[in-house]
Amino acid sequence: MIAIVRNQVLSFLLLVLLQALVLDHLDLAHGWVVPYLYVLFIIGLPFNTPPWATLVLGFVLGLAMDFFSSTPGLHAGACTLMAYARLLMLRILAPRDGYDPLKRPDVQHMGLTWYMTFTGVLVLIHHLWLFFVEVYRFDDFLSTLLRALMSAAATLLLCLLAQALTTREFRPR
Amino acid sequence: MRDLFRFLFRQRNNLLFLALMALSLVLLINGNMHQRAQAISSSNAVIGRIYALRHEVTEFADLRDVNRQLATALAAERNRQFSRPILADSAHLATDSTRHQAYRFITAQVINSTVHKERNYITLGSGTLAGIHPDMGVIGINGLVGIVREASPHYALVTSVLGNEFRTSVQLKRTGHFGLLAWDTGDPATASMTDVANHVPVSVGDTVVTRGNDGIFPPGIRVGTVVAVSDDPSSNFHDIKVHLGEDLTRTAYVHVVTDLFKAERDTLQAKASKP
Repeated sequence: MIAIVRNQVLSFLLLVLLQALVLDHLDLAHGWVVPYLYVLFIIGLPFNTPPWATLVLGFVLGLAMDFFSSTPGLHAGACTLMAYARLLMLRILAPRDGYDPLKRPDVQHMGLTWYMTFTGVLVLIHHLWLFFVEVYRFDDFLSTLLRALMSAAATLLLCLLAQALTTREFRPR
Repeated sequence: MRDLFRFLFRQRNNLLFLALMALSLVLLINGNMHQRAQAISSSNAVIGRIYALRHEVTEFADLRDVNRQLATALAAERNRQFSRPILADSAHLATDSTRHQAYRFITAQVINSTVHKERNYITLGSGTLAGIHPDMGVIGINGLVGIVREASPHYALVTSVLGNEFRTSVQLKRTGHFGLLAWDTGDPATASMTDVANHVPVSVGDTVVTRGNDGIFPPGIRVGTVVAVSDDPSSNFHDIKVHLGEDLTRTAYVHVVTDLFKAERDTLQAKASKP
């Protein structure tokens, strides 16, 4: 239990700093692609995280990003929405006999299809909310949509890359 | 009553979600409406410190470029100093006719900036202790950078030119016509100049400078050059694209402008507008 909490705290700090200090400064495709990898924290929470904790952690994660990017409420809202969507997605994608608490939401344990569906939907929800609220208007609808979709694809790619890099650490003992 | 409690208990996660979402929206709307009094920003001491640490690691990569820029700016300053008669020189930039200093420039280091968001912010490594306060203009070596939005003792947060909340009054140097500079291009190198009537002769290559009527920027500070003029027949105004002189993707040092006569002018205007 303590090890799990410690791992989650470390991954929270690591992801927020990685996002604020590295990813936010990438200039990909003239600003059309901004990967928000920090949401991996919400995706990677253990299956037996209580729903209220998922929501609160999502909000806190977003608020932490808001401090770095000086955008009060922007990331907090997107992450809260994503945390709520995670609860729904877990229910929709649940295996017949429920989740094994020893398993984690990653490719090794749940398979590529499950992981891509789960992560894809959550990242998409987060990015669509984030990009449209950031623009704060609807007149560039198509270009905002395109930016959100391209960034979501980049985030998904980075999620898989992060999975590949941390595989050994998460292998079942 | 018990049913109500049971209902609330069963819905507790949905209610928690709604509460957190409402809190986010309140923060969002407050942040957009009241630009002051914003607690969540990178002028916060902890965040400022983290960005300053990052800057200490990354600044060496830019030093060569910063040196070249400073040398070029110094050369330009020398050219100006030696190539004009002393009395009709560019002294109006920094002094008024009686040679009182009208503007003071505070040097500050950029410790964090973004250019590819919808609204971009710049964090400076100096704050109120260095004399930086909200609503001061920020200029780089080659052009505008932004306006100070918040300042803490050691850090300041600047609203970048690259953001849809930035507006400032500018003018065409050749013809003297006024317009409004706004960033709606999504491209960190260009901005738009609006409100210039169709009859004004604008040509590509014209220099755009600040108007300096707002007490934020001094007049005549270079903003950039016109790169495209197009006319929409349904509108009475030119659609002018301005190439920003300052490359905001690599601005390292900036000057924060203090208008030393702002208080005096504001008092006079307030007195004049009273019945």
